[in-house]
Amino acid sequence: MSSLINIKGSREGLRLQLDETVALGEILEALKSQLEGGSQFFNGAKVVVDVGERTLMGEDLAAVLDLMRHHGLQADALVSSSRESRTAARSAGLAARPVARAFSEVEERQEASFIQRTIRSGQVVRHQGHITILGDVNPGAEIIAGGSIVVWGRVRGTVHAGALGNREAVICAIDLLPTQIRIADLIARSPDGPAERGPLIARIIGDQISVGSWDAKR
Amino acid sequence: MSRVITITSGKGGVGKTTSTANLGTALAMQGAKVAVVDADIGLRNLDVVMGLENRIVYDLVDVIEGRCRLRQALIKDKHFPDLCLLPAAQTRDKDAVSVDDMIALAHQLRTEFDYVLIDSPAGIEAGFRNAIAGADEVVIITTPEVSAVRDADRIVGLVEAFEKGHPRLVINRIKPRMVNRGDMMSVDDVLQILAIDLIGVVPDDEQIVTATNRGEVAVLDRASRAGRAFVDIARRIGGEEVPFMSLDEPQGLMDRFFGIFGRRSTR
Repeated sequence: MSSLINIKGSREGLRLQLDETVALGEILEALKSQLEGGSQFFNGAKVVVDVGERTLMGEDLAAVLDLMRHHGLQADALVSSSRESRTAARSAGLAARPVARAFSEVEERQEASFIQRTIRSGQVVRHQGHITILGDVNPGAEIIAGGSIVVWGRVRGTVHAGALGNREAVICAIDLLPTQIRIADLIARSPDGPAERGPLIARIIGDQISVGSWDAKR
Repeated sequence: MSRVITITSGKGGVGKTTSTANLGTALAMQGAKVAVVDADIGLRNLDVVMGLENRIVYDLVDVIEGRCRLRQALIKDKHFPDLCLLPAAQTRDKDAVSVDDMIALAHQLRTEFDYVLIDSPAGIEAGFRNAIAGADEVVIITTPEVSAVRDADRIVGLVEAFEKGHPRLVINRIKPRMVNRGDMMSVDDVLQILAIDLIGVVPDDEQIVTATNRGEVAVLDRASRAGRAFVDIARRIGGEEVPFMSLDEPQGLMDRFFGIFGRRSTR
């Protein structure tokens, strides 16, 4: 399913690539489940939509844009080799460009982002690869990663690993007391009452997020 | 070298205006020329707290819009002639002032005063941005409550984003007895989250409410513990090394507390 939809990070931001060969209904279906899986990642993000050779106009274009908007995803530009698609996109208020697929190997790889500071209330760190933070994640802050999240510090804010749907992603921290913890499409909150202190690692086991001590996992 | 210092907090009601009035007065007591500016356009308070409400003729917006000269709008304090208040307009709102106006105003005040203290409105919107625009440094006031600390944390992030250097922290209205019982965040708890330099801890003091209502500031009352704390903060702003006073009420567990308040954030 996910082969129909490809999400890539590039210098210009996120690029949403929609398969150009299958019927549009299938695309919409796949896009819907993809967006539902990682909706937090996209919230408020601007993306370039790449529809390849597909001619997407009128109601079809509106359907795609509506679905995206519904999940907090804002289309910034449309890329297509079809002139009709580009014209339709422009009249819908988007920028439009012909296809220029030039993703280098480097951009394809999920690189990690390293951040050395306190992430404070109201600040959001978003990266499509892994995120490493040397510092605290305070309550009210959000960390959203396509990959795993490692914090050498105290986590009290909200952390979301595998936000693009990767259930293999993990979250670990020296002190893991998050407001909320999310991995892929699962959400958990810290138990009420005294929390476990010390280095912890959170990962998906079965169908739920499981938090255990670092030592026990080795 | 004069300094422009903005007093802010994020959350409302934690004591920004009271702190501005007290710090301004304390700095004037130490012999400095001080201007306190009420940047809370539309909700002016600083004049009331300082007991100067009935002397207002012109205000900050009049100065910015050129209806009067800066000197005409400055009101001399009742006790210290070297302390002046620039009141906010009450009949206008935040849109009457721009970031550039505030920078120009701060620049103008700087030429005549040693210290310019700007009392910021609550919140993180235009009013707050105006209040910090002309500042060299920022002092953040918080109370030991989770919500106030959360907002203070947000403000620290914004102050850093606006490149106003490292803000310093005043923890206001701490109740040693409650901290002792574990019912209130301690100074260490607050510092663990905010991780910025502490320049003062002000004990909760009922007298400050009555003083404020009379338009008198606590630093003038030698018996007021809160007033003494503000005097100490003013000295620290002036660059003195002043040990943190024990917050214990008389006959309290002096030693246990000293360990807490003697420490400073290292990050």
